[in-house]
Amino acid sequence: MPAEQRLRVLMAKPGLDGHWRGAMVVSMALRDAGMEVIYTGNQTPEEIAVTAIEEDVDVVGLNILAANHMQLLPEVVHRLREKGARNVLVVAGGTIPQQDIARLKEAGIDRVFRPGTKLDVIVDYIRQAGQQGETERREGPK
Amino acid sequence: MPQGIAQWEIPVEERNGMETNMNPSKQNSQFVTGSDIPVKEVYTAGDVAELSMERDLGLPGSAPYTRGIYPNMYRGKLWTIRQFSGFGIPEETNQRFRQEYELGQTGLSIAFDAVTENGFDADDRRAALTDVGVGGVPVSSLRDMEALFEGIPLDKLSTAVVAMPITACPLTAMYFAVAEKKGVPLSLVDGTTQNDLLLTTICYNTVGNIPPRHLIRLCVDLVEWCAQNTPRWHPVSFASYNYRENGITAYEELGLLLANAIGYTEEELRRHRLKPDEFLPVYSVHLAAHSDFLEEIAKFRAARRMWHKLMTERYRAKDPHSAMLRLHVQTSGSTLVYQQPLNNVIRVAYEVLAAVLGGAQSLHATSYDEPLCLPTEQGVLLSIRTQQIAQYETRVANVADPLGGSYYLEWLTSELEKKAWDYLQRVEEKGGIVAVLESGWLHREWRRAMAECEARINKGETKVVGTNCFEMEEDPYQVPVFRPNPEAGRIQKAKLERLRLERDNEKVAAALKELREVTVKGENVMQATMEAVKAYATLGEICDLWREIYSVWRLPIGL
Repeated sequence: MPAEQRLRVLMAKPGLDGHWRGAMVVSMALRDAGMEVIYTGNQTPEEIAVTAIEEDVDVVGLNILAANHMQLLPEVVHRLREKGARNVLVVAGGTIPQQDIARLKEAGIDRVFRPGTKLDVIVDYIRQAGQQGETERREGPK
Repeated sequence: MPQGIAQWEIPVEERNGMETNMNPSKQNSQFVTGSDIPVKEVYTAGDVAELSMERDLGLPGSAPYTRGIYPNMYRGKLWTIRQFSGFGIPEETNQRFRQEYELGQTGLSIAFDAVTENGFDADDRRAALTDVGVGGVPVSSLRDMEALFEGIPLDKLSTAVVAMPITACPLTAMYFAVAEKKGVPLSLVDGTTQNDLLLTTICYNTVGNIPPRHLIRLCVDLVEWCAQNTPRWHPVSFASYNYRENGITAYEELGLLLANAIGYTEEELRRHRLKPDEFLPVYSVHLAAHSDFLEEIAKFRAARRMWHKLMTERYRAKDPHSAMLRLHVQTSGSTLVYQQPLNNVIRVAYEVLAAVLGGAQSLHATSYDEPLCLPTEQGVLLSIRTQQIAQYETRVANVADPLGGSYYLEWLTSELEKKAWDYLQRVEEKGGIVAVLESGWLHREWRRAMAECEARINKGETKVVGTNCFEMEEDPYQVPVFRPNPEAGRIQKAKLERLRLERDNEKVAAALKELREVTVKGENVMQATMEAVKAYATLGEICDLWREIYSVWRLPIGL
């Protein structure tokens, strides 16, 4: 992929949950797959939205291992949309029970990767879905 | 040597006339320990020829304590069952503590929420209201600590205050204040503060740290004060459990455990206030029980031998308690799996057994449902019963160090020790624990370990049942999920508003002024911290004072 089309990914942890292994492992895998990854660690939903827009990212990856994913993940999507970032792909991972995934999708989280998901699966998905979003952002939706 | 034994020393493919049931060229590469140490198919006396029974093993209860710290081990006292609990508001966690006590648990362990771990109050603008009470219990003031232990007899059990470095002094001070109010004098208060420098600077990330060189001063202030005032309290528990959870090996875990203990010891000795034997006995540790059953047993034994060597040779300790490593062990949360979660019950049971065969004094069997949520009541019950079955049915507690003398175990104990000393030397060559933290070297090491670990799972070299083998489309087990109180943030915020109105604010201001002066002068902060918390100064007010003096440290984590 030429440099100007390299996918840009923001990896962040909404709230104060301090576990960093999952988010870091995924960040390194995406970087090794040729994407530009910005790892910011803990940020508030507002800070994540501002960073995503300033850094002009295609994808926002979120990770939570505390039990407040149902509040904080939708809030990030809400802040992004509020600021006009429409085609940014938002994906998430962490200790998220199966029964919560459908509601998170309704709230605009494109995909929830459960613990144990193979890195190849995450990389392939983000490459494909992120690329689609990147094209739409440049050319407008088809 | 009995006939035939010598043949085992020959690689299997070169043996004549021996039947084998495997293709060595195909499988040999897979025969490594969990820490990637290659292992032979069998071990013999030749592998431990250099081991001296007297110098390297001793008897249980005698130096170098490889075989355990007590002569009769569990016959004298079974290990303490100590689960780690905290969620919602203090009153809810108090109910959980009472249940655990009634189920036969003999020690409590407080899991604080992320807001508290940062040294913030529940109403802090740097925290989201939904951060409060989700991953643990919020404790912003002495009032919360009082609610947490309402009706619990602190003279009948010991408590682990699992406090992060910047919060260790104030949270321990709150616990001590509660104990005093219940009539338990400081001379009898029993338990541990986690207080490990690495906890929030690398293991678990917080945004409220001060630079490590100042943070270690606060950590050691607590050690120093407790060594003189609370003889039964362990003011630090070096938490190599948490280091290991980030993907490093068993021997790196041991190397860093010692590097950190050296860091604290040097900090205290630099002050010329106490001699080694006046504070080394109060140290304790918290190790991981990971998935390689025999390697973990070897690790616990190696840890004790190394500790003894370090304390007697480098610090010339004379008091046996200085060189005797007391082990709290936790079964590894990171070995538990989201898919087919009931399988975790079995993983935990194996890890419990490893900890017991390795001679642990205190044990936390991680709940099977932790990959999904905070432990449910059933999850906690199962963890306690798992330990009680090990204590009362398996009979492994009958004999001290029952595996001592096994060729493989003794070889592996020595091998881990050797590799751990090498790793420690690498850290010391880079200036020791504070230097490797501040420079970001340790963060890079851990990033490497995380990536390697994950790559092995991704390629299938490390097998994880239910994740990369024996997977199932539909999860066969339906398990309940714990949901913390969604109102915790609002409730705690209201309590703080009330506290700030009701307390004697002049008294608080005076206590904080005193604490600031003591801090700046470089005196021990603990006594002034005690006075401040007793005046109901909040955790956030105390930690902010230190952040103002020393500035906030940004973690050196990047890609």
